[in-house]
Amino acid sequence: MEVVAERKRTSVVGKNVRKVDGVVLVCGRPKFTLDVDLPGTLVGKILHSPHAHAEIVSIDTSKAEALPGVACILHHGNVERIPYTTAGQGWPEPSPYDSFLFDRKVRFVGDRVAAVAAESEEVAEEALRLIRVEYKVLPAVFSPEEALADGAPVIHDEEDATGIHDAQHNIAAAVDIPVGDIERGFSESDVVVEATCEIPYSQHTPIEPHCTVAYFDEEGRLVIRTSTQVPFHVRRIVARALGLPMERIRVIKPRIGGGFGTKQEIVLEDVAAALALRTGRPVVMVYTREEEFVCARTRHPMRVRVKLGAKKDGTLHAIEMEATSNTGAYGAHALTVLSNVGSKTLPLYNKAPHLHFHGKAVYTNLPVAGAYRGYGATQGYFALEVAMDELAERLGMDPIELRLKNHIRAGETSPIFEKIGEGREGKPMVVRSCALEECLKVGAERIGWYEKRSRRRREGRWAYGVGMACAMQGSGITGIDMGAATILMNEDGSFRLLVGATDLGTGSDTILAQIAAEVLGVPVERIVVYSSDTDLTPFDVGAYASSTTYVSGTAVLKAAEEVRRQILEVAAGMLEEPPEDLELSGEQVVSKKTGKSVSLSEVGHQATYVVDQHQIAATASFVPPESPPPFTAFFCEVAVDTETGVVRVQRFVAAADCGVPIHPKLAEGQLEGAIVQGIGHALTEELLFSDKGRCLNANLFDYKIPSSLDVPHIEVVLVKSEEPTGPFGAKSIAEVGINGPLPAISNAIYHAVGVRLKRAPFTPERVLAALHRDG
Amino acid sequence: MRLRGIKRFHYARDVEEALSLLSAYQGRAALLAGGVDLARAARGDLEGLIDITGMGLSYVREEGGGLRIGATTTLTGILENKAAQGYLGGFFCEVLRQVAAPPLRNMATLGGAVVSAHPWADIPTALVALGAEVRWSDEKGEHRASVEELWQGQFRKIFRNAVLTEIRLPAWEGAFAFEKLSRSACDIALLNCACGLGIEDGKIAWARVAVGATPRRGRRLTWLEDFLVGNQPGEGLWREVRDRVEAQVEVSSDRRASGAWRKAVVGPLVARTLKRAAEKMGDA
Repeated sequence: MEVVAERKRTSVVGKNVRKVDGVVLVCGRPKFTLDVDLPGTLVGKILHSPHAHAEIVSIDTSKAEALPGVACILHHGNVERIPYTTAGQGWPEPSPYDSFLFDRKVRFVGDRVAAVAAESEEVAEEALRLIRVEYKVLPAVFSPEEALADGAPVIHDEEDATGIHDAQHNIAAAVDIPVGDIERGFSESDVVVEATCEIPYSQHTPIEPHCTVAYFDEEGRLVIRTSTQVPFHVRRIVARALGLPMERIRVIKPRIGGGFGTKQEIVLEDVAAALALRTGRPVVMVYTREEEFVCARTRHPMRVRVKLGAKKDGTLHAIEMEATSNTGAYGAHALTVLSNVGSKTLPLYNKAPHLHFHGKAVYTNLPVAGAYRGYGATQGYFALEVAMDELAERLGMDPIELRLKNHIRAGETSPIFEKIGEGREGKPMVVRSCALEECLKVGAERIGWYEKRSRRRREGRWAYGVGMACAMQGSGITGIDMGAATILMNEDGSFRLLVGATDLGTGSDTILAQIAAEVLGVPVERIVVYSSDTDLTPFDVGAYASSTTYVSGTAVLKAAEEVRRQILEVAAGMLEEPPEDLELSGEQVVSKKTGKSVSLSEVGHQATYVVDQHQIAATASFVPPESPPPFTAFFCEVAVDTETGVVRVQRFVAAADCGVPIHPKLAEGQLEGAIVQGIGHALTEELLFSDKGRCLNANLFDYKIPSSLDVPHIEVVLVKSEEPTGPFGAKSIAEVGINGPLPAISNAIYHAVGVRLKRAPFTPERVLAALHRDG
Repeated sequence: MRLRGIKRFHYARDVEEALSLLSAYQGRAALLAGGVDLARAARGDLEGLIDITGMGLSYVREEGGGLRIGATTTLTGILENKAAQGYLGGFFCEVLRQVAAPPLRNMATLGGAVVSAHPWADIPTALVALGAEVRWSDEKGEHRASVEELWQGQFRKIFRNAVLTEIRLPAWEGAFAFEKLSRSACDIALLNCACGLGIEDGKIAWARVAVGATPRRGRRLTWLEDFLVGNQPGEGLWREVRDRVEAQVEVSSDRRASGAWRKAVVGPLVARTLKRAAEKMGDA
């Protein structure tokens, strides 16, 4: 990786400083959720539905309750019925309130039926076996088509659910956004192409599954120690689900072993808290890997149809995008993921005056989809960028030329920004930084695009090809996300940085410390970061929507600037010079006029113990009025075994504009990791189901994710860019990388062998079938 | 399911002790070497575990151009052994390098691969092609059989009361090659193939061909072996092989791959494996 940029002179920002938690992580010292051992802890386990759709006629827990060591069993008959959503989003939640702690009905194989708290895991599991449940099995539907058909069973027929778009027709959410006149747009176009691409069920597979410990502190407040991306949303949603006052709940996020979106959901915290409340004892719960696959959350399987109309010179004139999203049994993130299919893709090509984005998120009797890195954009870009490749071919244009002709530039806007927001209308926005043109140039050079594109290489059975795609994302959610930070100065001139932002392995603790350190003129080592404890840190919506660097980072920047102001004021008194003549760097406050200086530790000491004693501290919040998109150009080279259909990604180049990378190496890691996940989507990842809706490969033996041995040579380039609204010029990088591999690999396969793969993953079987059919 | 019922853990000093412990438990104990399959499909009925890794059965010895491999030798142990590296130009190591991932190869034993003999596994296909022989002991004494014979019978029943002691790989004057199709680098096979050829005076003198993960366990294509003998290696022959295999090899579907895909690729797979074996002989 290299940073092709000359930055403003900074001493901490833009540097690959040592991660604030790097050494302790390597030494295995940080405490993860389950690394606590509270006396008297009970083990919680969930009884899952064996049926895809059924009414619970009766539950007999008498035998299970009689088992020695069983402390409590909860089910719909003995808990309060309160509708809520498990989606950890800002208030008011855009996802329907269609979930209950336990319901009278089960809606997928793996749905919650009951929960047990027992003295040991063995006893809990034995108790689950002893619970007798009588089901009335109902007809089930396993695809949006079946669910939308006339006479389909109604999955959410409960009367107390709210926020469902059309429960009678199993439609959790729907969008319909017309701009201009789409039919006129196509009729005025010289060339029209259409591509329909499909993504199946896939799962985040974080190394640490969902896990939670719920217990009472000495004052009787409920403490939820949990592996989450959204501690403050956990507090609010659990309070609602259990009817508890929020001040009685404290949520602690310890070290997290990855999330990728699945931990933006409340899937265990509500149950663990309910069991702890009922028993008065600590309760630990952890999903098995099988539960993580089936009962946590997945990507929304989706079929996206894109129709493009263009003028002969390649200028896009009309874009229609239709998405059919499968939200599974519950509508977690149904509307917002669906919205993002269009809102994060269509602005990329803002030249077309006629747009129509429409779609439905449909309930089925399959596992529940939720947030997953890319959040709809991944699904949208697959179809959009494959369609762009087809359009380039039809026009006889190089795919890069077509992108250059149409992509948004700094100073430009798109009506989509205003039309589609997070579950409601968005806000108008002008893109202030866009280096996609440079990304395309650098990426093309690195992969050897023009040379490789001009001739197809064939060696025996192996056919080689190159493909490309572009993508953008956002940086936080405009007008909704809020991040806050508190910085306190210690008397020795060091600082405490308290943030609600949630480092789930991304390195955001380090990045936020860098921002504070830069403003306060100290090395990162002088900042102690404490993140995500609802009792101790200020509010933050959490780690999602590519928001932490931009949203929480700006809050840190503002807080640091205020603390800096307070420091200069104290120093001004000590140096007897006006604050505006002073500057702060190298842990010193120095007078620009006289050269006199005081150290930060002297300032801290002065303020704490000597004169006008007070705590130097500030809290600042930030709600982004804009969501500047990061841009990436993806290029890859594949080899296709024409005899077997095996596809090997040989090389991957991604050139990204993430503004100024606060920590280039961490930005590189985000991009590389997202690309690897995207390669998994493209080549291997797919959950399979029986005709009764049972997941057949809910384990890592059968469900294959790329290992280090599968990862090709990935080159990441961060091009020169600066986002004027971002902290030190930064915008996001966390998600955009996952949007490119699916279309880039599909387009490269097309270049290699002349067949288009539009259904992921591109297994040997699908590739060979396509070769036999179209090749 | 985990090994919840375990009451005792034993370290057997020798085969005799392992056998007597097995017998005492009357089916409620299992032998433990690498433990890979025990962990994968843990049995709730087990009360005893008998560790057999301290019985001197971890070794690789060269004998007359062949190999004698102790049953508890790990795959990594074999990969690191000079004699194994030299055996058939490194063929067996080439196979083992494609089995699972390094951490699993550090645990998994060759004996475990023989005793479990998963249909999708790579090692059985290679052992069948090589004509490997296995030795085991039970209360009646010592036994030997080719892996083909063993796996045709009720081998799982045998090993409930027996200790596999050694796997012997014979010497061959010729070359072997192995090919595998899988979804990822550490994946089990969607289809695999091991082939050996002896070439004299430009013609195939003997041939061994085994195909596995069809999804059934690796088995020889003796009709193809017979056909190959006397033929001259070359593209024409490989095309013929491809067509014959596609027409005659029985394949079917499982959730990893369909029978139709296996049918389409099994011919090319066998042909390319044979071609590589011939190339190793310097005669393609």
